[in-house]
Amino acid sequence: MLLRYVIGLAAAFATSFAFAHSIEGGDASFVASINGPAIGPFIYLGAKHMVTGYDHLLFLVGVIFFLYRPVDVIKYVTLFAAGHSITLLGGVLGGLQVNAYLIDAIIGLSIVYKAFENLGGFERLLGFAIDTRLAVFVFGLFHGLGLATKLQEFALSENGLVTNIISFNVGVEIGQVLALSGVFIALTLWRTTGSYLRYAFAANTALMAGGFLLTCYQLSGYFLAA
Amino acid sequence: MNTQKQPTSGATTYAPRSIIIATLAAIVVAALVFVAAILPAEYGSDPLGTGALLGLNALANGENPLEEQVEGYRHDTVEFILEPFQSVEYKYHLDFDAPMVFDWQSTGVPYYDMHAEPAGIGEAGVQSFKQDNGIAQTGSFHAPFAGIHGWFWENRSGREVTVTLNAAGYFYASTVFRDGGDYERNIDAVNAP
Repeated sequence: MLLRYVIGLAAAFATSFAFAHSIEGGDASFVASINGPAIGPFIYLGAKHMVTGYDHLLFLVGVIFFLYRPVDVIKYVTLFAAGHSITLLGGVLGGLQVNAYLIDAIIGLSIVYKAFENLGGFERLLGFAIDTRLAVFVFGLFHGLGLATKLQEFALSENGLVTNIISFNVGVEIGQVLALSGVFIALTLWRTTGSYLRYAFAANTALMAGGFLLTCYQLSGYFLAA
Repeated sequence: MNTQKQPTSGATTYAPRSIIIATLAAIVVAALVFVAAILPAEYGSDPLGTGALLGLNALANGENPLEEQVEGYRHDTVEFILEPFQSVEYKYHLDFDAPMVFDWQSTGVPYYDMHAEPAGIGEAGVQSFKQDNGIAQTGSFHAPFAGIHGWFWENRSGREVTVTLNAAGYFYASTVFRDGGDYERNIDAVNAP
């Protein structure tokens, strides 16, 4: 029992050292300097954003944690992708901008939600079940809104905007497939050992701690950093 | 391939009591990491003293926006008169990361190429930052390497053009390339004894 929490603590610490997830440095000045369609660079930036986006990745780890069949993984990830594509495209094109800290706090809560659900918290503790497919889709909408908000922090040129946003979105999907393949392979390998079910509880507790931590961090940014 | 029916969540496995403990543990861990590490590192607030203990408080100060230099501040004003189809190249000698601010204006619309050549390699390592036709350009520049950094202007019009450049920064000399030759100009430091 104690070991579970020690592992959870270690994992939560590990997640806490890689924060502030936005488009930065040279990439940022590149995005700001673009005038016209730039398919390749935007695909790359979208993929990079996803592969290095631990908040999106933690959520996806939660989503596929108890999905054993690739077809189920594809089903849920498609729902997630549909959700974030709608708000990424709609958000940027419609100029919809929400506070990035609040959106990221909700993304943190999406991780908490999925981990809590994996533990059976809703059914066993609260006595009701949320349709996971609906939840994944809705949180996909929020993740997309976060992407849209971050992209709009730069003065995006109107010239080639649609092409660039679609390229970014395609990149996000490519990055997601790449990252998920890695996560799925790692989980599948882990499943072949007896420790998987033994530590599933600890892993989801750690995931939940990471989610709470991200939420705290983003809320503190909202209240303190302004 | 595992085709056997598998549970899609752990719903039937864990006791409600364990789930409560896990949730509380997750909250406590998150709160602890937040108060012990994130608050001191990000906001310089250190309620538990862990920021001082782990040396995290220093992170909150961020990067110092001040870059102090000991000496060597110079400013320079030059004017070039370019007859039709004449060109000139004017470059400052800057050490790695040396900053300068500049502003040039022209009476016409010359072609210009703002570029730099690393010391020792010369034209083989040339890096161009902007090529355009324009009447003026102003900005700041941090030398990406030690070498000569500046502009090539070419008057591609049919009438005379005057280019006036003002620059200030930590350069110590400049080189003029004109009419097939080149010569170096020393620029005296403002606070030179």
